[in-house]
Amino acid sequence: MKQLVRQYIVYSLIAMGAVVGVGGSAWAQDYDASAELTFATNADPTFNPWAPGAVIESNLINTILFEQLTRYNPDDLSPVPGLATSWEISDDALAWTFTLRDGVTWSDGEAFDAEDVAFTFNDVVLVEELGAQSANQFDPVDMVEIVDPLTVRFILNTPFSALPYYLASFSGILPEHALGEAENPLTVTSFNKQTPVSTGAYKVAEFVSGSYVRLEPNELYWGEEPKLAALVFRIIPDANAQVAQLLAGELDLVTRLNTQVVENLERNPNIRVLRQSQNLYYWVVLNQNDARFQDKRVRQALLHALDREAMIEAVLEGFGTVATGPIAPLLGALYNSDVAQYPYDPEQAVALLAEAGWTPGDDGIMQKDGERLSFGMPTGQFGYLVPATLLAQQYWADIGVEADVEVIEWNAYIQQVVVNRDYEATLAWWSQPPTADVAPYYSSDAAENGNNIPNYRSEVLDGIMTDGRRATSDEAQVEVYGEMQVYLAEELPYLYLWYPDILSAVNTRVQGMPEINSATAFQFAADWFVAP
Amino acid sequence: MTTYIFRRVLQGLVVVWLVSVLTFFLINLAPGGPSSLVDMNTTASQREARLRQYGLDKPVMIRYRDWLVGTVQGDLGTSINGGLEVSQLLRERLGRTLVLGLSALVLAAVLGVLLGVAAALNANRVLDHVVSLISTLGMSIPNFWLGILLIIIFSVTLGSLPATGMPSSRNASWLTWIRHLILPVSVLAFSLLPNVVRITRASFLEVLSSDYIRTASAKGLRRQLVLTKHAMKNALVPVIAILGLISAVLLSGSVVIENVFGYAGLGRLAVDAARGRDYPVIMGVTLLAGTVVVIVNLLTDVLYAVIDPRIRHDH
Repeated sequence: MKQLVRQYIVYSLIAMGAVVGVGGSAWAQDYDASAELTFATNADPTFNPWAPGAVIESNLINTILFEQLTRYNPDDLSPVPGLATSWEISDDALAWTFTLRDGVTWSDGEAFDAEDVAFTFNDVVLVEELGAQSANQFDPVDMVEIVDPLTVRFILNTPFSALPYYLASFSGILPEHALGEAENPLTVTSFNKQTPVSTGAYKVAEFVSGSYVRLEPNELYWGEEPKLAALVFRIIPDANAQVAQLLAGELDLVTRLNTQVVENLERNPNIRVLRQSQNLYYWVVLNQNDARFQDKRVRQALLHALDREAMIEAVLEGFGTVATGPIAPLLGALYNSDVAQYPYDPEQAVALLAEAGWTPGDDGIMQKDGERLSFGMPTGQFGYLVPATLLAQQYWADIGVEADVEVIEWNAYIQQVVVNRDYEATLAWWSQPPTADVAPYYSSDAAENGNNIPNYRSEVLDGIMTDGRRATSDEAQVEVYGEMQVYLAEELPYLYLWYPDILSAVNTRVQGMPEINSATAFQFAADWFVAP
Repeated sequence: MTTYIFRRVLQGLVVVWLVSVLTFFLINLAPGGPSSLVDMNTTASQREARLRQYGLDKPVMIRYRDWLVGTVQGDLGTSINGGLEVSQLLRERLGRTLVLGLSALVLAAVLGVLLGVAAALNANRVLDHVVSLISTLGMSIPNFWLGILLIIIFSVTLGSLPATGMPSSRNASWLTWIRHLILPVSVLAFSLLPNVVRITRASFLEVLSSDYIRTASAKGLRRQLVLTKHAMKNALVPVIAILGLISAVLLSGSVVIENVFGYAGLGRLAVDAARGRDYPVIMGVTLLAGTVVVIVNLLTDVLYAVIDPRIRHDH
């Protein structure tokens, strides 16, 4: 395999790119150094990116606090330097060597070095008993070796070309000197809930449970001096209350907006609504342990029966596009649109079912060998899952397929569907790092126990995904993953519904914030400013 | 009286214990689990690791025993999803809920009595109808709707008051705190108002038509004096009773307000804990609420006897 060395432009050039539009003002004191920005989060955060249960409420704050080895390029989401300045892969693709940034200091004055990276992975992420959040994404990593104080080597058990992408996805580095002594580094309350030690441009100044987190500039930050006096995250669980406060000028950014409020917000001259993207898709899964769904023609028929355009209009007010596979168009060259399509076509659906042996019975429901095409479809009370599920039920009823919808409280839904896999069909979504490596959600290993919710098992697909993890050049990845998307669209382990637009609303006074998506925006918090 | 109080305290302890048994087994047997465990992205091995960490792999009877032993010793455990000590959470949140609830209670009591008296003195005249309209509105308008409406008027349109219930800085002045409290306290008070107004009005009308008031007026006392000294004192006994009842309800009644105004009180803690199946926190909140209700009931019964000598608890 050809050796691949990626040289990256110096970080400062990217930082400049992010503030383009203010005409070189990055050098002058062209910002209001006393300004504070206020954000919302929906629950008490945990200041530790790997702590069990540290999810949506903590992610953005942790992105500011705990820098990662890599970040996303604000233009195309490819990995760019973070705490690592460059990286290269070995000839056998089983080792990645990262050169760490020199001169980085933790907020308590200790120096950052390879020990911290090794600790984060060897003693936290890769320790199974700790159950670290999203640790399963690093299954291919065996250990992290310290080469010298500013060089680490990730030793893999299988090639993992997407490693630099995953390292940019909520994979903050933890301080060895602060957590190394702890019995469980993920549950140290004085760290997780009070004053964490971090390397980011802002550090925790105050946290009042249930009320707010206040971040102030980290004087020891390695980069340019942060340009704001404080970043405040108010804890506001209610989405309507968040929007009201945005309108009142008390919040500067609200992410994951409900589509219904968009029109109202767009009328406000002080607010800009951003239509952002994420590698996120909604799907219907048909449990592959159920023999009726193992025939791919049945899966294809059920997708043909759904008018996805109309569903997007109905539940998303048009803020979305029909999905063709697990990889969003956002990924550019890696996205392959030249795959099997399933336009709304009930007749084709009935024909496919007939081909698979299903014919209408006396009660109008499709039957085969005395078995009816009728199944349970639990749905959780979250976002628009319930209305979307009810629409699917209607479309299927039109072709003689009966879905028995059961609405369940969200937490109980996850217990039943995800943990116990006690379902026949269900509708939900996946959000993943901007890489085409979808193995955690599709590999046979992840059926039953992991994120492979449909319990789909295919040696062919496993083979393609392994090839993808071996493919280190961009061209090779485009080829392998292009082929993977063709296979998935034909096989439909998941019935792909749509890529929703991710809607955020930001006060026009906020400057220097990358707009591609919020994960990236928060990796470049050091660049944010407010004009005087 | 002492025996009575002693007996009631013992009964109260049994009630609280029963509440704890019921709650513990109900929440543990309900479907779902702590949200740090039951999450879309969590794999089976992560779940197992976390179950062990939280001690949730033990049988439910053992867990209850451990919880009871800890609680008796004053250790309510640690929040599963948040990692903070339950007793610390309860202390912080109870204080804030008291600030919000008591301010609203005082406001509702003062306004309610004034309006109730005014309505009684003007029975069946325009003022009475206006007051009755206000209390009907207070009774029927949902809290969250009024909250959002006031935010739209005062925060979004006029920009005169903050939309949040508390400032986001420790250095905030008292004045800032009060500005933040105005909207939530008003909404909560508005919903408590009708009860106070109605009871005050009814009780005042009853007292005004009683013999001793007629006697007082007949012997030539000034109307002012009759009202304040004779009528007010007697008419307020049922009002005090209703205020006692309301204060027990306040604990739970502020849940909606706390959510709309992003106010970190006990009500929101309870809702968040229930949603995230944070067992130790749910237990802590339930225990606290149960204890408060038992104590308030006991106090009310004892106060009755103190205020009205005809009531005796001896037999």
